Amino acid sequence: MSDKITIEIDGRSCEAAAGEMIIAVADREGIPIPRFCYHPKLSVAANCRMCLVEAEQNGRPFPKPVPACATPVGTGLKVWTRSAKALDAQRSTMEFLLINHPLDCPICDQGGECELQDVAVGYGGDVSRYSEAKRVVVDEDLGALIATCMTRCIHCTRCVRFIAEIAGTRELGATGRSDHMRIGTFVATGIAHELSGNIIDLCPVGALTAKPSQFKARAWELTAHDSIAPHDAVGAKIQLHVRRGQVIRVHPRCDEAINENWLADRERFSYEGLTSVARLTHPRLKRDGVWHDVSWDVALQQVAAVFNTVPGDDLGVLLSPQSTLEELYLAQRLFRAHGCPNIDSRLRQQDFRGDAVDVVPWLGLPIADLEQQTAVLVIGSDLRQEQPLLAHRLRKAALHGATIALVNPYQVNLTHPNHQFVAAPQQLLTELAAIAAALGGRGAGEIANLIAQATPTDAHQTVANALKTAGESQHGRILLGALAAADPNYVAFKALAYLIAEVSGCGVGYLPPAANSVGVYFAGALPHVTAGNQPAATVGLNTAAMLSNPRRAYFLWGFEPDNDLIDPTAARKALNAAEFVVIGTAFTSPALEAVADVLLPIAAYAETAGTLVNAAGTWQRFQGAVAPPGEARPGWKVLRVLGNAFNCDGFNYQSAKDVHDELLTNCGECELTTAPQGEYSPLVTRPDPIELTRIGAVPIYAVDSLVRHADSLQQTPLAIPFQAGLHPDEARRRGLNTGDQVRIQQGDAVMTTTVVIDTTVAIGTIRIPAGIIDSEQLGAQIGAVSFSRV
Amino acid sequence: MLRSVRDYFNSLLLVELFKGLQLTGAYLFKRKFTVQYPEEKIPVSPRFRGLHALRRYPNGEERCIACKLCEAVCPALAITIEAEPRADGSRRTTRYEIDLFKCIYCGFCEESCPVDSIVETSIYEYHFEQLGDNVMTKEKLLAIGDQYEAEIAEARLKDAPYR
Amino acid sequence: MVDNQNTVCFRTMHLNETVRHSLAAYRSLGGYQQWERILTERLEPEGIIEELKLSVLRGRGGAGFPTGLKWSFMPRKAPGQKYIVCNSDEGEPGTCKDRDILRYNPHQLIEGMAIAGYCIGATVGYNYIRGEFYEPIAHFEAAIQEAYAAGFIGKNILGSGIDFDLYVHRGAGAYVCGEETALLESIEGKKGQPRYKPPFPAQSGLFGRPTTINNTETLASVPVILERGGQWFLDQGRPNNGGLKLFSVTGHVNQPGNFEVPLGTPFRELLALAGGVKDGRQLKAVIPGGSSVPVLPGEIMLQLDMDYDSLAKAGTMLGSGAVIVIAEGTCMVKVLANLAHFYAHESCGQCTPCREGTGWLARVLHRILHGHGQMSDLALLDSVAGRIGGRTICALGDAAAMPVQSFLKHYRHEFEHLIKHGRPLDAAA
Repeated sequence: MSDKITIEIDGRSCEAAAGEMIIAVADREGIPIPRFCYHPKLSVAANCRMCLVEAEQNGRPFPKPVPACATPVGTGLKVWTRSAKALDAQRSTMEFLLINHPLDCPICDQGGECELQDVAVGYGGDVSRYSEAKRVVVDEDLGALIATCMTRCIHCTRCVRFIAEIAGTRELGATGRSDHMRIGTFVATGIAHELSGNIIDLCPVGALTAKPSQFKARAWELTAHDSIAPHDAVGAKIQLHVRRGQVIRVHPRCDEAINENWLADRERFSYEGLTSVARLTHPRLKRDGVWHDVSWDVALQQVAAVFNTVPGDDLGVLLSPQSTLEELYLAQRLFRAHGCPNIDSRLRQQDFRGDAVDVVPWLGLPIADLEQQTAVLVIGSDLRQEQPLLAHRLRKAALHGATIALVNPYQVNLTHPNHQFVAAPQQLLTELAAIAAALGGRGAGEIANLIAQATPTDAHQTVANALKTAGESQHGRILLGALAAADPNYVAFKALAYLIAEVSGCGVGYLPPAANSVGVYFAGALPHVTAGNQPAATVGLNTAAMLSNPRRAYFLWGFEPDNDLIDPTAARKALNAAEFVVIGTAFTSPALEAVADVLLPIAAYAETAGTLVNAAGTWQRFQGAVAPPGEARPGWKVLRVLGNAFNCDGFNYQSAKDVHDELLTNCGECELTTAPQGEYSPLVTRPDPIELTRIGAVPIYAVDSLVRHADSLQQTPLAIPFQAGLHPDEARRRGLNTGDQVRIQQGDAVMTTTVVIDTTVAIGTIRIPAGIIDSEQLGAQIGAVSFSRV
Repeated sequence: MLRSVRDYFNSLLLVELFKGLQLTGAYLFKRKFTVQYPEEKIPVSPRFRGLHALRRYPNGEERCIACKLCEAVCPALAITIEAEPRADGSRRTTRYEIDLFKCIYCGFCEESCPVDSIVETSIYEYHFEQLGDNVMTKEKLLAIGDQYEAEIAEARLKDAPYR
Repeated sequence: MVDNQNTVCFRTMHLNETVRHSLAAYRSLGGYQQWERILTERLEPEGIIEELKLSVLRGRGGAGFPTGLKWSFMPRKAPGQKYIVCNSDEGEPGTCKDRDILRYNPHQLIEGMAIAGYCIGATVGYNYIRGEFYEPIAHFEAAIQEAYAAGFIGKNILGSGIDFDLYVHRGAGAYVCGEETALLESIEGKKGQPRYKPPFPAQSGLFGRPTTINNTETLASVPVILERGGQWFLDQGRPNNGGLKLFSVTGHVNQPGNFEVPLGTPFRELLALAGGVKDGRQLKAVIPGGSSVPVLPGEIMLQLDMDYDSLAKAGTMLGSGAVIVIAEGTCMVKVLANLAHFYAHESCGQCTPCREGTGWLARVLHRILHGHGQMSDLALLDSVAGRIGGRTICALGDAAAMPVQSFLKHYRHEFEHLIKHGRPLDAAA
């Protein structure tokens, strides 16, 4: 493929790689060829016949017009894309496409940005010769995100190929023959895939359109604003399409290094939360148990006045890792200046014993390089739910033959070949130890004991061998995910990960759970790290310590403690006990109002400027696209004024860029490394003999307030209700069946829920999701529970 | 010399006065075409572009499908439309407003409408008593359409052969 | 009478009809001797392929591609699994020859497939049989059982170390699955849709492996060619049109049936074999190679010989050898409307021109047939057919377009008459 050859297109000589398709060369050269079924990221179908061109090779003309999308280039190839023969072929195809296409452009959401419309202008006739009855097709129900009008379908099969090749689920297909062929789900179910929204972009006509924005706007009414996706650490590049101050829809921007041209549904449809009725629109103050809307002045003066009476050490500051770098930086600067070192943004972590040794938890390599890995060991991550686009990269690697192994407390649903080791959290360490043992690792301390007791099976040996081979060619990776980070023995997972990495030669990386999980280190929003990823002079309390040793006052920023903290019950207890709680939030809720004393309305992602640092350590700035509702203001402005109210020096920023530039200066020399600054020497916490361990993974559409308020996402099958998943053996042993009500007890938290028999759950565990309604009544995401039948 | 003598006699005999009165006299006896508005009214072309209306189909269904072509084509930006799916899933406007202070009665909205929904009627007698009355809401426009449907349909029919 | 009739694929026809499809019957005619000879003498595949090239055995499925050449394209020595696939999805309207091979001489096909597999390095063969062939499938499967039992196929055949396994795959009634790549998709369990070529099946065929696909008659001819020599086979027919060919004569003839006669036999003789035109009527038209090939008026056909090149010169094709005879008194508009309906129904729906165009043709023809046609429709039909032909992945588009164009060329007056007068010109039948 590397040999360069020269071909001729429309008389212009073009450089091409042998084996490339004509259309790819033409696209690169800017020579337009009409097409519908061709898409550079999908397999070639050659079925729309729109890209037919005339060609000859070494003086011998091809007898028929050839499809540019499926004809590989070769030496001596000459192509004419606009010769009489080519144009005739293209025009005939256009006529055939239009005879059965409805003339309903005025009510079609694709109208104005439709590929068929565009190409019809160039290649369509002015009068139809077709006078027979047109085809009408029954619509498909593809769920809450995708609206269908299958009569408009031109059978390009891009959606079918996307679902089969990129998503890997084969939920769509073509049935029927001739002009009765229709695209649909074989069985009447919607599409349940986290990347499904991309088929809306792929559909060249209005057969598949976005349901949440259905009929809301025409393409020409929208102004596009570049932004960055705010829900995961990929930092996908997006475009906000805005009409009259409201985000109507979100589209991806293509960046091969980050999100290619895909976007996860979570990023695509979360904008719905921006207009939720739960938005906080006024600063609010609780006086004698009654809430009052107040002006910003009053609210901020009140905050400053109370905080000034509380010694810094009695304060607790918890910041959302989804916040922008600017907000995180200003908040930690403000409170450090105030003498408060208790700042943390790792809200879903309970084991902080590795803080002294930790490196910045980043991916360890550029995102695109994930595809080149030949062996990856993922520890504690529900890949597709946590990191839809990183999971896609790993899937690509797997399809190229990479060994993907996962060590998880439940079986993860993947659409590529993989090895999974599923066990209760305690045994997961044993599984990892077995892999380490298979690689000949020894370890020290307790880890050494674990490894000594481990008996590697063939499966462990296979994975170990793959890691070893991959490590030798520098294409192996060990990735730690959110389920590992939430584990009470996170340090042990890290210790084993680094041990396996050392003996196999692979690198270690992290799957950062939030949009700015890497950025918090640069911003210094951690108890032990200050701005520029410098060690803090005074190490403050971490999240767990702040909640277990209640502070007198709390400052919470950008999250809901009931849903976004690892142990909501402990959090509620601490916040209720505090004298004064200030919460900066975009959304309000009865739960927030119950614990807070001051609520500050801040802007959500599309409404503020800021910077996010993605998993690969790339800083991405974005601007606000719409105004925040009511009195809500961008977070950095609120913090800047609060800084003035606190009489802090240097809080005279004029724009978010000023903050960004100052921080960038602080971070001048920061480089991301992967080697920890010492040995993890964990003591594996072994709780008393426990009945069951709760595994509280956060469902994909519960990761933050914005997503939780996006109605359409909440109607998809991926939005899991609060329920208790049990392995059939566990359930049988207790005489339970799907639908039975059980009372779950976690510490002193009690909640009733419904049992679901689920073969993916490990024996010894019970899977109860976190971050969703009712989960706030329980304790830590991963922890011991007992339960009884109601 | 000769010219001054001629001018003298012309002015003495009031020649120019009579010349002027000749024209006055001629019109005095010609047929009058002053219209006694409002008692009398001139005929109006079926293409007259007056007050707007939104039409319905004979079965009572509103024609407008919220395609927003009129909004896009309006050179005065007088039209504001908002749309969403109706309960039965069809595409309908939730807001359709024409600001008559902005409107220049160019008729582009009518031309662009694929379903003959927005039309300009031959109504030209209307006034506003309060600020805000100038904004024709969807309800008002539909009411005009309902009231004058017969005339509107007739005007369209008359003009149809020339389109 | 043709003297060497029924000497290749229909060798068993003269045997007792209750046993002629059995192994014993086939053995009595020298069956499996070529396969045994190849295995015991370890003949070089190149030699066998040369013999086939000499015989000029051309693909009997319709395209007429030389079989020896096709086999030589296979990367025989490349590592990995390779496949030989037999196409018995006989769907072409008018064709029923493969059915009778499966019914009366299944072992010859098995031997032919085994030899083909040996020559191209394939150890697994599939026979894709049209689903409606109930009795032929039963016969063929029984024959496979017999062949396994006798050790002619299976593992380590006759102690030679060579393996050959044979499987039957039943079709489910799609005409397009007779197209070789759609057939492969169907065997793989997918929707039967032709693949774009390149890559050709010889590079990437069944399950992505090199594959050769041959017609039933082609493969069944191989053992006889090896037994009697390529030169003998060639001599039976004409230069570049070697051997005997099965013709399925149907339509308005007195004795429709399959006739194995040498290529180059005059059409007149073939018609006589089939008992002449039915009820003594006049010959009106002939579709000489299955419904996809252009029609020819009877008087032209009576001058022609039945071989690839003669028919090609006359502007039609030998195709699969399905001779459809049409007598006077048949409305050609109705014939074409029927054909167009068939193609509109059988288009796989993949390529735009064929998916939309075949339906358009069928609807316009239906309209004309029912008296609602306009003169402009004829130009429209011709133009639409022209826009389908040559613009699709497989040949179904061409197959749908060619009859329309040829009917309009030869029988335009019948269409015009029907449009003008609202009734057919020639509809005695």
